[in-house]
Amino acid sequence: MSDALLSIQGVFAGYEGQSVLNDISFDVPEGSLITLLGPNGHGKTTVLRCISGLVKPTKGLIQFDGKRIDGLDAERIVARGVVMIPQGDMLFPEMSVYDNLRMGAYLKHANAAFEQKVEEIYTLLPRLKERTSQMARTLSGGERRMLAIGRGLLSGGRILMLDEPSLGLAPIVIDQIYEIIIDLKAQGRTILLVEENASRIIDLAERIHLVDTGTIVWDGGGKELQSNPQVLETYLGG
Amino acid sequence: MDYFVQILVSGFTFSAMYALAAVGLVLVWGAFNMLNMGHGIIMTLGAYFALMWAELFGFPLVLAAPFAMLCGGIIGAIVYFISAHWMIKQRDFETTIIIATFGLGMAMEAGLLKLLRELFHTSPYAQPLSMGADSFLVATVPVSYQRIIIWGSALFLILLLGLFLRGTKFGRAIRAVAQDRDAARLMGVQVRNVYITVLALASALAGVSGIMLSSFKEIHPLMGGALMLKAFIVIVLAGLGNLTGSLYAALLIGMVEATVKVLIADKYGFTAILILVILALIWKPAGIFGRSTVARQ
Repeated sequence: MSDALLSIQGVFAGYEGQSVLNDISFDVPEGSLITLLGPNGHGKTTVLRCISGLVKPTKGLIQFDGKRIDGLDAERIVARGVVMIPQGDMLFPEMSVYDNLRMGAYLKHANAAFEQKVEEIYTLLPRLKERTSQMARTLSGGERRMLAIGRGLLSGGRILMLDEPSLGLAPIVIDQIYEIIIDLKAQGRTILLVEENASRIIDLAERIHLVDTGTIVWDGGGKELQSNPQVLETYLGG
Repeated sequence: MDYFVQILVSGFTFSAMYALAAVGLVLVWGAFNMLNMGHGIIMTLGAYFALMWAELFGFPLVLAAPFAMLCGGIIGAIVYFISAHWMIKQRDFETTIIIATFGLGMAMEAGLLKLLRELFHTSPYAQPLSMGADSFLVATVPVSYQRIIIWGSALFLILLLGLFLRGTKFGRAIRAVAQDRDAARLMGVQVRNVYITVLALASALAGVSGIMLSSFKEIHPLMGGALMLKAFIVIVLAGLGNLTGSLYAALLIGMVEATVKVLIADKYGFTAILILVILALIWKPAGIFGRSTVARQ
């Protein structure tokens, strides 16, 4: 047993007989920012999909707040307070920005506070306010990512999982997105972040887990990673 | 002028029936990629529920249609639990559900025939909701009150559906599931409730279109098949999953059918529709309002 808010213990998973995760274990303590770092196609996204319930682990244990959540449906897991901001945003393209945000607050407890919460989101992400009645499919890449983040925040979960929030964005937009993440961390939110790019998270994360071929090959703090050129070179190509 | 009015009058009537039948198919396809081959028999059942209400129970006629909708909705939910519920997580659901509901539809049809033999002894039967030939004249063309009611109720039901989908929380959830099922689940939408609801809604609307159809001819156990076929043609022409598009397509097909029936001959109506659809699909393979690529995840 572990005291962490989220605990992943010996998880295996795969798609159609192909194994993707081989014995993954790590903890996310309350109030921390934990990162899964590693090259593309090594299972980082699958870890998040397992936790959020979109993929069922074939073996292992996932605990949230001391209770098992593996095997539950995605809609039940988010109701427990595990919120995922998925890769590729997964917005509702034929809905307005405002309606997308309203979907974020679909759950009962979130829905009650929506009117007030959406103003907070608009303060945090003013671009969304300008675009409020625009269809999500007409947004730029950066705006889409902001909407995905805003929608996730409105779900009001206790842990926020972000899957490569910098993917496919221009450097200046990535800076904006990371400012938001730094903000969220400062507010004391628990964050599980998946990243491919070490430089972005090295000063930010309390703990970095290096994922390679479906398992965690190294873990430690940002400083340790920096002073460990061998690890950087082997797994992240320098 | 006479021909023109005549075409409009019967065209709108066809369109109303096709739209109500097609909208349900689109909703169900949009929500979880299910083509319900039992849709036709549910239309037929709608007509019979109205008959039962009026003839067997002798309840007031005005409530026959709501009763038929309610029963249709319940049947839709039952269809979900008999078929889709067990299959939705399997691979190739899109194909297997067609076969499953085709079989289920046949079973329901056979059951209906058996039941009718017990209940009514004779068949076909006249639709009690039919208002007969009472009519008024537009130019020199008689327009029956029956048709006015059909247009009005189709319009009313479709507007109501639109309000539900746009203006309510659960309606938004249905649209969200249609646009990105996994994303909707990540928002906490209980997708199973959405599946059951859309099938119930679709079946309720199918029941109404069955009543409409039978109010012109008679109620017959096999009457729903042809109407379902046309509803399928409508949604394929529009591009699968496009709700507004399918309304336009229903209007187009209804009007084309009426034009050919009035100007050429009754028997060429269906032929004309089929030629129209073939040409449209050669021109735009994903349907008139469909996206250019038909993507599968």
